[in-house]
Amino acid sequence: MLDLLKAIAVGAMFAIGLFQLLRRNVIRSAIGLLVITNAVNLFLLMTGAYRGKVIPYVNAVGQRSDALPQALVLTAIVIGMAGFVLVLALLYVLAMRYRTADADAIADLKH
Amino acid sequence: MASLVLLPILVPLAGATLGLLFWRWRGWQAAWSAGALAVSLLSSILLLAEAWRRGPVVFQLGGWPAPFGISLVGDLPAATFVLMAQVVLMAGLLYALGCRDRCVTFPVFYPLFLFLTAALTGSFLTGDVFNLFVFAELLVASATVLTALADERSGVEAAYKYFYISLLASIVWLSAVGSLYASYGTLNMADLAQRLAADPSPPLVPAAVVLMLVFFMIKAAVVPFHFWQPDFHAAAPTAVSAMLSSVVVKMGVYGFMRMTTLLFRPQAAMLQDWLVVFGLVGIVFGGLTALGTHHLKRMLAYSTLAQIGFILVAIGWGTPSALAAAVILTVNHSLVKAALLMLAGAIASRAEVKSAAFANLIGLGKGAPFLGALFLLGGMALAGIPPMNGFVGKLALFRSGILAAAYPSLAFLGVASILTLVYVTRAFQMIWWEPAPSGAKVKPGGDRLLAPTILIVLCVLLGLWPEPLLALANAVSAWLLAPNAYIAAVMGF
Repeated sequence: MLDLLKAIAVGAMFAIGLFQLLRRNVIRSAIGLLVITNAVNLFLLMTGAYRGKVIPYVNAVGQRSDALPQALVLTAIVIGMAGFVLVLALLYVLAMRYRTADADAIADLKH
Repeated sequence: MASLVLLPILVPLAGATLGLLFWRWRGWQAAWSAGALAVSLLSSILLLAEAWRRGPVVFQLGGWPAPFGISLVGDLPAATFVLMAQVVLMAGLLYALGCRDRCVTFPVFYPLFLFLTAALTGSFLTGDVFNLFVFAELLVASATVLTALADERSGVEAAYKYFYISLLASIVWLSAVGSLYASYGTLNMADLAQRLAADPSPPLVPAAVVLMLVFFMIKAAVVPFHFWQPDFHAAAPTAVSAMLSSVVVKMGVYGFMRMTTLLFRPQAAMLQDWLVVFGLVGIVFGGLTALGTHHLKRMLAYSTLAQIGFILVAIGWGTPSALAAAVILTVNHSLVKAALLMLAGAIASRAEVKSAAFANLIGLGKGAPFLGALFLLGGMALAGIPPMNGFVGKLALFRSGILAAAYPSLAFLGVASILTLVYVTRAFQMIWWEPAPSGAKVKPGGDRLLAPTILIVLCVLLGLWPEPLLALANAVSAWLLAPNAYIAAVMGF
């Protein structure tokens, strides 16, 4: 049951993120990117983190959770955050230079 | 000497971090960065020598044994790509030292250049799929900021496009990593290759294959995923665009080589067919768009699409001689394309308005015969005309095509190769033959030509004396086709 809920959550986040990604407004499309990043983080977490019955790294007997996906997700969250900060900084400079958030109006490079 | 594989990553990384401390003293910072890159280049030469003489250099980070920790693998293909990348990056740094762009005086320019070096080197040397994601992120973040610093106003727009598509590529890669981890419970490439060959049945594996293919296609700017690349090259500072179009796209090429020969051997036949198709489409699309464009740097960027296409076709044929041809073409293209983009930047720096649009450059070459000679040699190398290294690459490619009996695609390649000659000649004719419009002023000086001269001399040398490169390429291809040796070296059997 929990697996199904998580799968639906990942799918819904991908769908919402993809929809926002295709918007003309650059701020909305940046937010779409963030939503998809988090959908992938959730997917990574699902690859094994909650399979076990007891916590890893203690001397309890039984099936242990896999700790590696949690380490991966932690790294991915930190890197994703740094990437999104850079996206926001670039968007700020773009907004200051072009005075618009419309992707079609930011077109100096179109030939 | 297992730590030899660490030096080409750690030296630029440490050099960049310490270089940031000298942000007030720009001259010292530039000299320090050049020194750090030179040391790193030296260590990558030693790494290739060690891999050539004694086989792969493997280092397990933190002392964790192979499938559990992160392995750095300096085998022959990786060491060859690292040396190629660092030679070109060293030339790029030399170009930046002698260029007139204002952006190189920015206090983070040289440290970011070193971060780019460390990240690219790391992504060639790593033997862990998640670690590759980390290096890829470092690579795109530093390349993005280097582009956003550009003197042109459009630099930020190009940087945003590049960063956005690269973040999407990273997301794609993470999904592939998750799919593989859910299927096999390991992230080590050698371990993954071994388990995948034993049992390719888990349902998420085809998804992982396609996602990884898409990631490397975005990195290598293969045709349906190329759209960020020409914009990027029109706007980025010359020293940066020369690196991105020559060595950074080779990360994708390296990925295709590893995917077809190591990671996805059960699916290799299907992948190779796709690569041939994408390669042929890229050759025609890149050649025709390069013919139609009105901007010198944009033309060279489109030409990269076509040249990567040649390499993809060679990887797609997958025979020993075709893989060797792919390695030769890769090395040649890195040297030539970096040199040509630097020459394009140098000629644009002499124009009154600094732009590489053809309309702005007509007749400008009259006062720069040496620049013209270098451009002519570079163009000949790109088109594959005899005394240059490009000829050796094309010859190896066509020979392997005949050996593989791939006649239809071979005929295609032959016709499409002429396109290269046409667009290079067109650019040369417009800049060096046509009379300058009356009233056009040429600025004296311009960017220094030391870096492109070094690269063109290397091209001529590799054309006149190709035996060392041929021997290396054959050894690389033999090693790629023996994946069990790689697995044994990493897993310590």
